[in-house]
Amino acid sequence: MSALERLLGEFEAQPAPAGARLAAAQALRTHGLPTRREENWRYANLRALEGVARFLPAAPPAPGTRLPPLPEALAGYTRLVFVDGRLTTAWPQPDAAQITRLPMDAAVAGDAAATMFETTGDGRMGLIARLFAPDPLSLRIAGPAALELIFVTTSGAAGSYAEIAIEIATGAQVALVERHLGCAAATLPPEAPASLNCSNLRLRLAADAQLRHTRLQQAAGNALHYHTLSASLGDRGSYSLAHISAGDGSDRSSAQIRLQGREATVRIRALAAACDSGIADAQFTVLHEAPGTRSDQLFRGIASDRAHISCSADVQVLPGAPGSRVLQSLRGLIDGKGAEVNLRPRLTIDTDDIQAAHGATTGRLDEDLLFYLLSRGLEPAAARSLLKWAFLGEAFGAIEPPALRRAAELAAAARLSDAPATELLQ
Amino acid sequence: MNAPLLQIDDLRVSVAGTAVLHGVSLTVRAGEVHAIMGPNGSGKSTLAHVLAGRPGYTITGGAVRFDGTDLLAMAPEERARAGLFLGFQYPVEIAGVNNAYLLKAALNARRRQRGEAEIDAFDFLNMVRAKMRVMQIDEALLTRGVNEGFSGGEKKRNEILQMLVLEPRLAVLDETDSGLDIDALKVVGRGINTLRSPDRAVALVTHYQRLLDHVVPDQVHVLARGRIVRSGDRELALELERRGYDWLLEAAAAVA
Ligand SMILES: Nc1ncnc2c1ncn2[C@@H]1O[C@H](COP(=O)(O)OP(=O)(O)OP(=O)(O)O)[C@@H](O)[C@H]1O
Ligand SMILES: [Mg+2]
Repeated sequence: MSALERLLGEFEAQPAPAGARLAAAQALRTHGLPTRREENWRYANLRALEGVARFLPAAPPAPGTRLPPLPEALAGYTRLVFVDGRLTTAWPQPDAAQITRLPMDAAVAGDAAATMFETTGDGRMGLIARLFAPDPLSLRIAGPAALELIFVTTSGAAGSYAEIAIEIATGAQVALVERHLGCAAATLPPEAPASLNCSNLRLRLAADAQLRHTRLQQAAGNALHYHTLSASLGDRGSYSLAHISAGDGSDRSSAQIRLQGREATVRIRALAAACDSGIADAQFTVLHEAPGTRSDQLFRGIASDRAHISCSADVQVLPGAPGSRVLQSLRGLIDGKGAEVNLRPRLTIDTDDIQAAHGATTGRLDEDLLFYLLSRGLEPAAARSLLKWAFLGEAFGAIEPPALRRAAELAAAARLSDAPATELLQ
Repeated sequence: MNAPLLQIDDLRVSVAGTAVLHGVSLTVRAGEVHAIMGPNGSGKSTLAHVLAGRPGYTITGGAVRFDGTDLLAMAPEERARAGLFLGFQYPVEIAGVNNAYLLKAALNARRRQRGEAEIDAFDFLNMVRAKMRVMQIDEALLTRGVNEGFSGGEKKRNEILQMLVLEPRLAVLDETDSGLDIDALKVVGRGINTLRSPDRAVALVTHYQRLLDHVVPDQVHVLARGRIVRSGDRELALELERRGYDWLLEAAAAVA
C-alpha cells in the first residue's frame, strides 16, 4: 500500500475526526500527495515517506521521558514547547498579553488561492499535519509580541505533527522564532527508523503588520521533515523570513507568500547546509498580487559529501501588481564528490512597469580565491572554511537576537566539511 | 657575498600543454633587489606563480631552492609561512572575508611558523594602522571584504600593506606598479623600501623604469619568450626604456 493509502487508513480508523480534518483527508484522497513528476518536487525526498511505518502521532511521552536539552531562553520571548507535536506549555502564558488563542476552525477558512495551495498545490504536505496534529493551535496577536515555538521529538518511530495558524493584527510588530530540534542525537540508535515531522504554519498579516520570522531546522538524527508555510500580507504588511535548514536527515519546506495588499513586502534569507547524505529542498513561491509590492529573496546553499540541496524560487507578478519590484539571488556551492545543488529560479511577469533583478549560480569553491588565501599562509582547511563562511554570510542576514544568530551559525557550521574558526561566529 | 636566498636553476614550466618557461636561472641573495622586465606574455607572471606554488603549472625541469630548501616541494601555504610573499598582478576580490581578519590570520600563520605566540589584538591594530599610514590607505578598507570594491590602486597598495605586515624574507611583486598614479607609485616605492634590509630580498616584475627610480635595483633581468635573455644593472632598465625589447629579441634569436 502506498504511504497515502496507509495514512488515510490510519486516519479513518480513529474515532470521529472533526470537520477540518475530514476536509483535509478528502483533499488528499482527491489530489494525492506530491510526486517527483511535479516540477517543484523533483528533488524532494518523497520516497522516504513510503518507508514510514506508522503515521499516527506518537503517544504522549511516558512520564519521566528525557527530553532533549532545550536551548537557552531568548530574552523577551514567550516560549511554547511542542513535544512530539503536543503543546506542553500551559496556556495562557502570563507574559503573552497580546496573544489570544482562538478556536482552530476559525483559522481554517481561506480564499480560493489559499485553498489551491493547500489542497492541490505545493502545500499538500501540510494536510498530513492537519490530519494528525494533536494540538492544533490558532493564535491572534494584537500588539507587539515575541513568540518562540520549539519542536522536539522523543521517539524515532512515530510522527510529530503541528498545525499552527497565526493572525497578526493591524500594525502589530511581531517576532516569531520556530526551531525544529528533533531528537537529541545521543538518544537515538543509528538504526532507528526515520521519524516523520510535519508542520503546517499559516500566517496572516493585516495591514501595516510586521513580522520577523526565523525558522531553524537543526534536527539531528535520521529525521524526515516536511514543513509547509503560507503567509498572506495586507496593505504595507512586511514579512521578513530567515530560513535555515541545517538538519541531519531530509528536509523539504514549501512556502507560499502572497503579497495581497498594496506595497506589501517580503524579504527572504534562506540558507541550507547539508552533509553526509542529507537532503535540503526548499521551495518558495511569492505571488505579487497588488500594486507596489516588493520581494527580495536570497538563497545560499552548501552541499558537502553526498548531500543534495535544492531551491526552487518562483516569483509571479500578477496582472494586478504594477510597480512591483523583484530581487532574487540564488547561489549554491558544491563541496563533495557526490554532492548536488539544484537551483530553479522562475520569474513570471504578467504586468508592466516592474523592476526585476535575478541570478542563480552553482559551482565549486573558486580556486583563485583559495590560492590567494593559501599564498598568505592560511591552512587549506582554514582557507576553505573562510570562503564557505563568507559565501553563507549574507544569508544569515539580520537574524536577531544574537543568541539566535549564534545558534543558527553553529547549526550551519556543523553541516560544513570544514568548520569555521570560532572567531568567525557572531 | 650573502648565501643565495632564492636559487632558480634551469626552470622549465608548461601551462595547459604549452611550454612557457624554457630554462630560467636566477640567483637572488639576501639584501638584494632584482627587477624582472620583459614583453607581455614572456612568462613573468608564470614565474611568479610557480614560485608561490599556484596549481595548474607543470614543472618539466629544473629546481628552485629557497633559503636552501627545495621550494617546489613545499605547499603554497608553507612557502608563505617560510617567508615568501607574492604580490599579485591581479589581486582577487574576496567578498565577505574581512580584510583585517585575513591580515591577522596570515600574520599569525607566519608567527606560529617562527614559534611565536599569536599577536595581541590591540598590538595588531596599532601595527596595521601605522603601516596603513605609510601606505596612505584609508583605514575604512580594513573593515571591508578583501579587495572588495577596491579601486585598482587600492588593491595594489593593499598587496604592499600585506607584505609590510607579513615582513617576508623574499617578496615577489608582480607588476605592483601597474595602474598606479604618480603619487601612489611613490607611496608603493616607499613601502617596498621599508622592507629592504640585509636579510630580505625583493624581486620586482615591472614594465616601467619609473618604479626603479624609487626602488633602485641591484640587478635587472629581461625575460623574453620564457628565457632570461639579458641581465645587467639599472642602466639596462634605462636602455630598455629608450630602445624597447626588439634589439634584445633579435640578439637572442641570433644566439639560439
Ligand atoms: N592558464 C593558462 N593557460 C594557457 N596559457 C597560459 C596560462 N597562463 C599563462 N599562459 C600563457 O603563458 C604565457 C606567459 O604568460 P604570463 O602571464 O606569465 O606572461 P607575463 O610575462 O606575465 O605577461 P604580462 O606582462 O602581460 O603580465 C602567455 O603566452 C600566456 O598566454
Ligand atoms: Mg604578468
